[in-house]
Amino acid sequence: MSDNYRSVEDFVCDESFQRYCLGTDQSATDFWENWIKEHPDASAEIAGARELFSMLNARQGNLGEQVRELKDGLERSTFLKEEFGQREAISRRPRRILYAGIAASLLLAVSVYFFLDRQGGKSPESMPVIAATIQSGSEPRKTLMLADGSVLTMRHNSSISLSEGFSKTNRVLTLSGEAFFDVKPDPSHPFIVHTKDASIEVLGTVFNVSAYPENSYTETALFRGRVEVTSKEDPSRKTVLMPSQKLVIQSGGKRDTAFAVRSLAVDPVDHKAKEIAWVRNRLKIQDESLEQIAGRLQQWYGIPIVITNEEVKKYSYSGTFESETVIKALEALQLSYPFSFEVEQTRIVISK
Amino acid sequence: MTGEENNIAYWEGIRKGNKQAFFDLYNNTYFHLVRFGLKITANDELVKDSVTQLFLQIWEKRHRLNAVTQVRAYLFTALRRMLLDQLEYNARIETAIHRMGQQEAASELPYEEIIVRVQQDEELKRKLYHAMQQLTPRQKELIDLMFFEGYSYQQIAEHTSQSVKTVYNTMYNAIRLLRELLK
Repeated sequence: MSDNYRSVEDFVCDESFQRYCLGTDQSATDFWENWIKEHPDASAEIAGARELFSMLNARQGNLGEQVRELKDGLERSTFLKEEFGQREAISRRPRRILYAGIAASLLLAVSVYFFLDRQGGKSPESMPVIAATIQSGSEPRKTLMLADGSVLTMRHNSSISLSEGFSKTNRVLTLSGEAFFDVKPDPSHPFIVHTKDASIEVLGTVFNVSAYPENSYTETALFRGRVEVTSKEDPSRKTVLMPSQKLVIQSGGKRDTAFAVRSLAVDPVDHKAKEIAWVRNRLKIQDESLEQIAGRLQQWYGIPIVITNEEVKKYSYSGTFESETVIKALEALQLSYPFSFEVEQTRIVISK
Repeated sequence: MTGEENNIAYWEGIRKGNKQAFFDLYNNTYFHLVRFGLKITANDELVKDSVTQLFLQIWEKRHRLNAVTQVRAYLFTALRRMLLDQLEYNARIETAIHRMGQQEAASELPYEEIIVRVQQDEELKRKLYHAMQQLTPRQKELIDLMFFEGYSYQQIAEHTSQSVKTVYNTMYNAIRLLRELLK
């Protein structure tokens, strides 16, 4: 029957296709995965059908994927328990992955206090004086370029505090929450990220740090280059991460600060690291103008994109690509039609 | 859907530390919980995260759980409390809290509003809103039942006293019209 299918409607209205989208029926999933392999010419219709289904379904999600998510969560909490003892892991605070805006804004004060308390005012470098704070609020992502040319994307309810003299005399900042960093190399000014549990010195380029105040750990995941991570509680403990490794540091324990180097969690389907699924953007473009595409990028990465040239606005693109940063996305688009763009602190300007 | 009796059995299994029962309960209630959550707040990421979190909490305190006779109602209440807890801090969704505070039953978001609100793209939101306006009430009802509530053609046919074939044809034409309008 499905061999006669031609249009998006045919697929969307098929109950077995719907179960495949929902991930509720293994045999439907097997059937459609196989069917899709055998009918590469129908890939545009299939993609359209999946998109329409998920729209009408209000993005309830795929059960298979959600179960994997739950298993990940279980693994993580089991891991914490084994490493740090039952009481530590469970009952210290109710674990929340979602957090309060209020908590995020209080956090600046808390983290400064934490520094003073912990470090006892030893070296000036470990006690940054905060000059500016940027918050992502409830936006899913917020992208900005720092004065030194590094680009970072913050996840929701995260804040970044730049030290005094950032980009001039130092590149030290404090993160609460989660952010994806693409750091501009500058050997004479090491890029250092402080979190409640760790300080991370960047020796290379691209990495993700998750350090929400309500989680009792800091997780550093490295994609390219090298970073050196030092525990806040015990500065003698440090390690250099290699690409595709991550380090989880547990906080709060009196002396059992843990240091666990693990490899990144790779999604079995697309072989991409799950740690940065929140920031990776998959763009499917079918004959869209650069103006429309810019609108989508703006929405996803949380940074305004301005096009100054009318002709450039009308450049038309088709294709599918995936990128972790808005810069990479624009660079990919540049390959088909040349245009230039400039990243300013809080916006991107595209010109001819 | 498979009934509450299974859920009670799974619940008892969880209290004894049976992980399979834990996943069985999740599989059996996931979509019910997500739909319930979406009617409170059309923020699909928040809802899905909260469902995961709810189950992680259940597993963590499995040995201290009480026996429950209405498992689904228990889960709904717990999820609702979690969502409210999160929304409380979120000024942007203040209106939703306000709405919920007033009247429990009347606070559900209608289907059309949910699917428009979960879209990220402003342009698409507008288009979808206008497209849904063009459908007949019957067409909208069928789409809601099938895609949001997860009914089969057979169930919709029984629900609306029509033949399966009629339901399918109405659905097909509605979807085709919708696609036309979304272009």
